[in-house]
Amino acid sequence: MAAERVLVPLSDTVTVRQTVGYAVQSCPGEAETLEFHLVVALPYDTEMPEGQSLTEDAERLLSKAESWVREDASSTNVTIDVTTSVLGDDEYLFGPRDYARTFDSYAAAHDIDRLVLDPEYQPGTTAQMLQPLERELESVGLAYDEAPVERPARHERLAGDGAERFDKIFAMFWISYGFYLVLGDPTYWFDLVTGAAVAGIVAVSLAHVTFTFPLDRIGSPIRTLRFGLYVPYLLFEIVKANLAISLVILRPSMPIRPTMTRVNARVRSGLPLLALANSITLTPGTLTVRADDQRLIIHTLIPSAREDLFEGSLERAVRFVFHGRTGARIPTPEERGDTEIIRGDDL
Amino acid sequence: MIEQLRFWAIIILLAFGLFFTFVSAVGVIRLPDIYARAHTASQTDTLGAGLALAAVALALGWDSMTIYAVLLLFFVFITNPTAAHAIARSAAESGIVPLTDETEVDVEPDPSTPDEGDSQ
Amino acid sequence: MTADLLNDIFLVTAALFVVLAIMMFYRAVAGPTTQDRLLAVNVLGTNTVVILALLAAGLDEPWFLDIALIYALLNFLMAIAISKFTVERGGVL
Repeated sequence: MAAERVLVPLSDTVTVRQTVGYAVQSCPGEAETLEFHLVVALPYDTEMPEGQSLTEDAERLLSKAESWVREDASSTNVTIDVTTSVLGDDEYLFGPRDYARTFDSYAAAHDIDRLVLDPEYQPGTTAQMLQPLERELESVGLAYDEAPVERPARHERLAGDGAERFDKIFAMFWISYGFYLVLGDPTYWFDLVTGAAVAGIVAVSLAHVTFTFPLDRIGSPIRTLRFGLYVPYLLFEIVKANLAISLVILRPSMPIRPTMTRVNARVRSGLPLLALANSITLTPGTLTVRADDQRLIIHTLIPSAREDLFEGSLERAVRFVFHGRTGARIPTPEERGDTEIIRGDDL
Repeated sequence: MIEQLRFWAIIILLAFGLFFTFVSAVGVIRLPDIYARAHTASQTDTLGAGLALAAVALALGWDSMTIYAVLLLFFVFITNPTAAHAIARSAAESGIVPLTDETEVDVEPDPSTPDEGDSQ
Repeated sequence: MTADLLNDIFLVTAALFVVLAIMMFYRAVAGPTTQDRLLAVNVLGTNTVVILALLAAGLDEPWFLDIALIYALLNFLMAIAISKFTVERGGVL
């Protein structure tokens, strides 16, 4: 046996050091050379504004991991070969499926024997995704090996750390208390007391259901403000599109051209995707039929609505709400080649 | 003067609300398939309902009940597209094939001719 | 004077909304698919909410808005629940 090739996807977690260590030790002794492929999969395109800093982080992590490999392997007398690379810098990786596919094609291209997976593997900013990733790796048929690591205080990590949990409950309490008092009478002591009790129960029991993402003490209020700017814009678009649709429907000939389109939106899952899909649906002429990860299947009724959709003005507006002004400067879905007209029976 | 302005604003809001709801009713009756109907049924109607509710909020004036009307308005705007999406998705999952440009030519004239007679 | 006129206008608008709701009823009866009926019923529900709000303004009975709010909530839940129910695998939303 000449060489053993191991693929180790890295991400910035507490257990990444142990994973690298396991990958080195677990290699069978008879191999003469060990090839380590250390990769970091980037969730964003490097052209995107938020991609820049991620690329730098990825390179720092890769050089650190390379030195760990050399350090761990120095006691053995096999030849070590380390290859590092950044994956996914030319496409927009979204869900576990995309990561599994990327790893699989990398493994096929480099003739990888084994994949060692960090149990806490968490690329980008999304929630922990080991279990879905394992399922997807199995479905693409890539063998993997989960590194047995000791996780410091795992239960605490699951529940979110103290400050994060407090933020969620705090926000949830004031939102539900405010809602209660709006419906009730804010000057009547009975409503104040019962409202506080109800809001307390709601906050404790439902805060982690409502906010599935960690709140940002500065970012979240700013996003809410930007959302306030977004609403008038959305209303304007809705009225404009409504008039266009009304004209089409009231014409006796009814010149509709229904088409199914697929648009790969560049927004993350959760709240931004919900906002975008709902905005698209609210604008007449376009209707979100499905939202699988970032792949939106959209039914369009008239050609002008389809062109508006492909120009992606709503997408840019949603990105402005969640990522700020720089995040909004991206090419339109049509320029990116992320749009496609599909056949009706091809759902 | 301000009373007069408010009066006409209410009338205009109600008229547009009625108009868009009318468009939505016509769309629900005339359009050929479920996906196309969802466009007017849930969106044009959302605007119609929104404008009518705005008229109600304006008519109630500065009252604690106005908050109810505004809440109702927000609620309609958030839930209607979600419900439309749920319905369209359920249609897609149960295998209803949408009429598109390719199929339109041979299928579309059939359902629209009798409906056109209805609406005229 | 204008207040009375305004109340009448609200009531007339409510009546017209009822006429439109009856128009939508055609789709709820005609179908042809479950989703068509569901969609029509959902729109009917939205119209009912608007009619209740218009009556609240027209009859000076603001508490109608409480009922409208609850009706809107139930209408939304109904649409979600039935569309989930019509898909065997579940998983709508």
